[in-house]
Amino acid sequence: MSYIDELVSALGKEKVLLDPSEMFVYGADWSPRTPDEFVPPDVVLLPRTTKDVQRIVKVAYAHEIPVTAGGGLTGMLGGAVPIYGGIYIDTTTMNSVVEIDSRNQTVRVQAGATLQEINDAVHPYDLWLPHQPESKWVSTIGSAIACDNDSTFGVRYGKILNCLLSAEIVTGKGEILELGHRKAHFTSSGYKLKDLLAGSEGTLGVITEVTLKLEPIPATRRVDMLVFPRMGAAVDYLSRLLKAGLCIEAAHINCKRRLKFYTHSYKQKFGKDPEIPAWAEALLAIAFAGDQEVVDTQRAYAIKIAKDFEAQLVEERDIVDAWWASKYTLDFEPFKQKWPDSQKQKKFGAADPGVPVGRLEEFYHKFIQVAEKHNLEIIGMNAYLEHPNSIGFSLSCAVFVDYRSQDEVRRFREFHDELSKLAVAFEGTMSTFMSDTYQKAPYLELEHGPSLKYMREVKRLFDPKGILNPGKKFLKEESR
Amino acid sequence: MSSLEEFKDELETCFGTSCGFCERGCPVYQTMKIKTLCMKGRNRTMLGLIQGRFEITPAVVQAAFECTLCGNCDRWCSLKNTEHTRAFREYLLKHGIEPIKEHSSIQASIKNYGNPWFQPRSARNRWTKGLNLPKAAPGKQDVVFFAGCTSAVTKQLNRSLVASAKLLQRAGVSFATMGQDEPCCGSTLLRVGQTDAFNELSKENLKKFKSLGIKKIVTACPGCYTTLKKMMEDAGSSIEVVHISREIAKLVRDGRLKLKKSDERMTYHDPCHLGRLGGVFEEPREIVRATASFVEMPNNRYESRCCGAGAGLQSAFPKLSKELASKRVAEARAAGATTIVTSCPFCETQLRTVPGIKVVDLMELLLDATEGDGKNNDSRKAS
Repeated sequence: MSYIDELVSALGKEKVLLDPSEMFVYGADWSPRTPDEFVPPDVVLLPRTTKDVQRIVKVAYAHEIPVTAGGGLTGMLGGAVPIYGGIYIDTTTMNSVVEIDSRNQTVRVQAGATLQEINDAVHPYDLWLPHQPESKWVSTIGSAIACDNDSTFGVRYGKILNCLLSAEIVTGKGEILELGHRKAHFTSSGYKLKDLLAGSEGTLGVITEVTLKLEPIPATRRVDMLVFPRMGAAVDYLSRLLKAGLCIEAAHINCKRRLKFYTHSYKQKFGKDPEIPAWAEALLAIAFAGDQEVVDTQRAYAIKIAKDFEAQLVEERDIVDAWWASKYTLDFEPFKQKWPDSQKQKKFGAADPGVPVGRLEEFYHKFIQVAEKHNLEIIGMNAYLEHPNSIGFSLSCAVFVDYRSQDEVRRFREFHDELSKLAVAFEGTMSTFMSDTYQKAPYLELEHGPSLKYMREVKRLFDPKGILNPGKKFLKEESR
Repeated sequence: MSSLEEFKDELETCFGTSCGFCERGCPVYQTMKIKTLCMKGRNRTMLGLIQGRFEITPAVVQAAFECTLCGNCDRWCSLKNTEHTRAFREYLLKHGIEPIKEHSSIQASIKNYGNPWFQPRSARNRWTKGLNLPKAAPGKQDVVFFAGCTSAVTKQLNRSLVASAKLLQRAGVSFATMGQDEPCCGSTLLRVGQTDAFNELSKENLKKFKSLGIKKIVTACPGCYTTLKKMMEDAGSSIEVVHISREIAKLVRDGRLKLKKSDERMTYHDPCHLGRLGGVFEEPREIVRATASFVEMPNNRYESRCCGAGAGLQSAFPKLSKELASKRVAEARAAGATTIVTSCPFCETQLRTVPGIKVVDLMELLLDATEGDGKNNDSRKAS
């Protein structure tokens, strides 16, 4: 009996897709890859329960078949693309809300629920999950954990681990494990295995259910934008706001070039790009949220301090609103959504390094140099503050890539690798929101040194046959 | 160039983008949870097909036809997604795929009977009995009330046409009907990919409208509305096409009708062709607000969810179609409505298949609320 026959027998044929056209649909995400790099899965499975996932992994384990689990397939670096074929598990079929515990401000959901679906479910309780990437309508909670992606509100609520209390996974042997601390917000007991899941890219287990911490929905929010003569000045300003005791909800530093990418709505409305002062090199979008009086007080104080940093408030609300529509509300004019318009010729491609707070500006200039060296069209840099109440940012260093051109994709990869390695030299990290995928696997040792062998051991413990998302984080041959 | 290659750049843009924003509001995807059945997946399937990555298979045909063309994906996108799907169907039919059994008869019925439902031409005129409506003749009228096949030949839907005609009369609109000579607009042909037959029919229709000297067509059916409107635009014709709700809302707005307002909690279901695809959102709401206690469903206007009847889904995939209707009714009930008001014969019939809520046509609602015409309406009983 072939492994596919076993899967059909274990799941029922309605949960098994085999047609080549269906494989083509599930075989690609947002990452710049040339058409000839496309490797379709051999079978797509649509599980409904953790038991279904367990049945799948047990069959895969017995036959040593690669298993890649995915969600919305919006990843920008190929994390959920099954580069060695085999089984693709579409977790979006597992999107039930298991329990809403409003008193304890938690929700238990299946891992295929989108971030928006979770928020739709908990909204009636005046609660929300503040982990909000731009892809929240499509990005699933399982993928958000596995990729460790960004959130618009990181400076107040942190990254996904700050929301994740517990997670159920199916290991590479088909064992079901619960990792975490139930509904308690933290623990000092045992090893924090749950934390290993953030950015694990499905290489340790398939996430099937999670318990998440929710937050009360703030009554009001005010978003503003300030322009600065330098990116470093924006960092200094934010440091000052935190020292002053302000509670910032969102903070994003954009270079001047990047603004255009985020103001699609403005262009739709006025037929031109927004104008900012010629001297301004950086833009800071900043939000305060809470009771109106508190928001007003904090905002007024923040604006008062701004003049000490040569900053100027952007008075044209349409610019701010357009940016916020792009980052959060997604309130685009009907039939004019941003993404396809911005990707008509080329695809968005990014490196996602992290650098120490004091070296942002220096790294920004390096980014421009490296992009120019590789002859790539620059979109710009965005620094997202992602650590609660402190200045720790992830960097999106973005360029346009023609994914149909082998040469341009190659140049993009060289650009990506060069910036990743440079970030380590800057005493930073290679990745802050896209994880390692196949892209950084060949040189992960540069960042982790001898500790990489411990990571491989951890991988072997969870996935002894190396069937879970092979080729990601480690080269395939290193996963065995 | 095949009809799909015309959209190749858009298909590649979608492939390159991969945002998936079309998934959230797609009624079929949200029910089936198979990515080939949402627009992102469907665009990829089309691209793979023209790149020669695979042959036409039953799964490809399913991806093409298991869609109501409701346009929700277009709302969240700058690509012409429903046009892609329509072209996808046309492509498959031109590449030797037999039309789905339930769709194959449409062309023959329209040719022989002037409607897609195998009803005799005489049935088309039945609803006008006793109304004393003038029949359109060359140069005799500016305005024609266009009943549409479905409401005209389906006895249970005739009341909405009667209500429309009476309200038009009260509005002082001088109009005629085309009686048995009213043609099919061809909407169903277009939606299931039978484009050549549609184009031929459209040519004949335009000739007919022109020969009558019509300046304005008031349609009862949203499908006719979008189809005829686009047909006139494509042909560069000056004939205006409006939907009945827009024409009649003026009466309500100007206070020309004495209305009895009920306390019943009613919601309005935007038909895809009238709302998202036709741009008519507010006039029907004005009418419901004037006659009942109006409640809005969370998914409304551009975000309205399809009832599941459109683009041949009801006939070819009845189980899925029914599930979509059930979801929409559940949404209406959760919003606290006891009645769904709509303005489309397909939506009305489809939503009535789900028990537990009343479904009423917008024009019938208005006529019933008009003093002196406030008789009980059988169609408003819970099914």
